[in-house]
Amino acid sequence: MRFDVEARVRRRSGFTLEASVSCEAGSLGIVGPSGSGKSTLLDVLAGVEPGGRVSLDGRDVSNVPLHRRRVGYVTQDPLLFPHLTVRRNLEYAPGSRGVEDVATALGILDVLDRMPRHLSGGERRRAALARAIASQPQLLLLDEPFAGLDERRRREAMSLLDQARRRFALPMVLVSHFAEEVIALTDAAVRLEDGKVAAVGPSASVLRAGETQIDNFFTGCVVGPSLVRCGHVDLHAYVPEGVAGDVRLACYAHDVLLATSEPKEISARNVLWTMATGVEPAGEAVLVTLAAPPVKSLITREAADRLGVEEGKRLVAILKATSISYLGPAS
Amino acid sequence: MSPILLSLTVGLTATAISLPPGILVSWILERTRWPGRGLLHVLVLLPLVLPPVVTGYLLLKTFSPNAGLGSFLQGAGMPVAFHWLGAVVAAAVVGFPLLVLSVTLSMKAIDPRMEIVSRSLGRSPGSTFWRVTLPLSWPGILAGSVLSFARGLGEFGATIIVAGRLPRETETIPLAIYSAMEVPGGEERIGVLVAASFILCVAAVFAARALDSWHRRRLELNR
Repeated sequence: MRFDVEARVRRRSGFTLEASVSCEAGSLGIVGPSGSGKSTLLDVLAGVEPGGRVSLDGRDVSNVPLHRRRVGYVTQDPLLFPHLTVRRNLEYAPGSRGVEDVATALGILDVLDRMPRHLSGGERRRAALARAIASQPQLLLLDEPFAGLDERRRREAMSLLDQARRRFALPMVLVSHFAEEVIALTDAAVRLEDGKVAAVGPSASVLRAGETQIDNFFTGCVVGPSLVRCGHVDLHAYVPEGVAGDVRLACYAHDVLLATSEPKEISARNVLWTMATGVEPAGEAVLVTLAAPPVKSLITREAADRLGVEEGKRLVAILKATSISYLGPAS
Repeated sequence: MSPILLSLTVGLTATAISLPPGILVSWILERTRWPGRGLLHVLVLLPLVLPPVVTGYLLLKTFSPNAGLGSFLQGAGMPVAFHWLGAVVAAAVVGFPLLVLSVTLSMKAIDPRMEIVSRSLGRSPGSTFWRVTLPLSWPGILAGSVLSFARGLGEFGATIIVAGRLPRETETIPLAIYSAMEVPGGEERIGVLVAASFILCVAAVFAARALDSWHRRRLELNR
C-alpha cells in the first residue's frame, strides 16, 4: 500500500507534530520514544485526529469520516465492548465476516462465547485484534497492541498477528516504542523524534545502536521428536510433547550465528549450509537474510566485513535448538 | 384520584418524560465541547439549587394561560397550570438535575476511545451511541431515574405553586399531608400517607435493584 501522509497537529501543551511521510509498504512501522508523536500520527491516519492530509494508494481519504474509512484501529488497551460477548464483539462491525476464521487464526476460538472480563490479558489483546480484522478493513492500524504483555505472550501474539496478516492479506501500520519490535513484522518504518520524522526507510535502517532484539517469526512442520521441517531444512527445536502438525516458531536474529565453514565440534545442534539473500545495514550492525532456514541474522559490521558477507554468499548458519521458541500451533 | 395514586402517576410520568431529554442533555454535556456548554450545565443544575418555590413561580409564569407557551398548551388541550400535568412538569423539572448528574457520571466512566473504536468499526456516531454509550450508561440511567422519581414524589414547593392544591386533582402525597395537618384529627390520614411514601420509595429502590440484576444476569447468561 502506498502511504502519503502530511500530519500537522498542534496541542495546547506545546507539542507539535509535523510529519510528512511518503512510502510504499505492505506493512509500515512507526517507532520512536514516548511523546514523539507516534500515536498522534496513527490517529491522523485513522481520521480520529483532524489536521492532516492522508492518501492511501493514491486515494485522498482526508475528508472521509472515521466510520467510513475502513481502518481496523487497535489501541494499547484492548477496549472490547464489556457488555458484549467476544463473539458479538467480533461481529460488531456491520461488514464483519469470517469471525470464526479470524478467531481461529488468533487462537481465541475457545473463548468466543465468554464475556471480555473473563479473558486473560493476552486473550483480550488478540480479541481486539480479531475484531479489527473481522471488520474487513482496508488497513490495520495498531498502536502498541501488545504492550504490557510479558515476553512470551508478546511474542506469541506477534507471531499470531504475523500469521493473520499474511492469511488475510492486510496492509498494516504498527506503532511501537522499539524499532526492534516492529522489524519482524514490517518492511518499512518511520522513526519519529519530537514530532518530526528522524528517519524513514526499510525497517532495519531505522534501528538504533544497541537495539538487537529483532525477532524472526516462521512456521514449520513437526517431523520427529524435537525436529521441525522448515521449507527443505530440518531444525532441531524443542516442541512440547504431543504437538504435531504445523507450528509457529521464533528466534532472535542475534542468536543466529554465521560462519564461512562448518565448525568441527560445536554444541549447537543446527549447523546448516545456506545462502545470504539480503544484506542490509541495521543501526551499527548488519541484518543478513538467509534462504533456509527462513530467518535473519544480526551481526556486527566488523563481523560482516571479516566474513565477506554479501548477497549470494554461501554461509553456514548456526543456531542452538534452545534459541528457537515454540509459540503454538499454526492454523 | 387519591393522593397516593396521583403521586405515583405524577412520579412515573415525570420520570418517563424526562428520560429522553435527560439522556440527550447528559450526552451533550459529557461528549461535546462548545462555548455555550457551561451555560447549559448551569441551567440544568439550576432547579437543584433554586428554592423550589422560585422554580414553581418561574414555571407558573411560563405555563400560565396568559403566557405564550401556556396558552398554546391550553389550546392544545393540555393545560398545565392548576392541573395534574402541572404537578408532572414541576416534578420533572425538579428531578431533572438529579437524572442528568447520574447519567453524566456513568457516561464519564466510559472510555471515549471505546466510542472511537466503535466508529472505526464502521458504526456511525448515532449507531455508536445506541450500541455502546447507551447500554454502558445503564447503571446511571437507572440510578438517575430512581432519584428523579423519589424527588418527584416528594415535590412540594414547586407543585403547590404551579398546580395548586386542588383535592383529588393536584393534591399529591406531600400536599395531602400538608392539608391533613390543618384539619383536626387528620393524624390517621397522615399516617397512611407517610407509610405510602415510605413504601413507594423503598419499592422504587428495589425495582431499580431488580432491573440492574436482570441486566447483569442477561450479560452473565451470554458467558
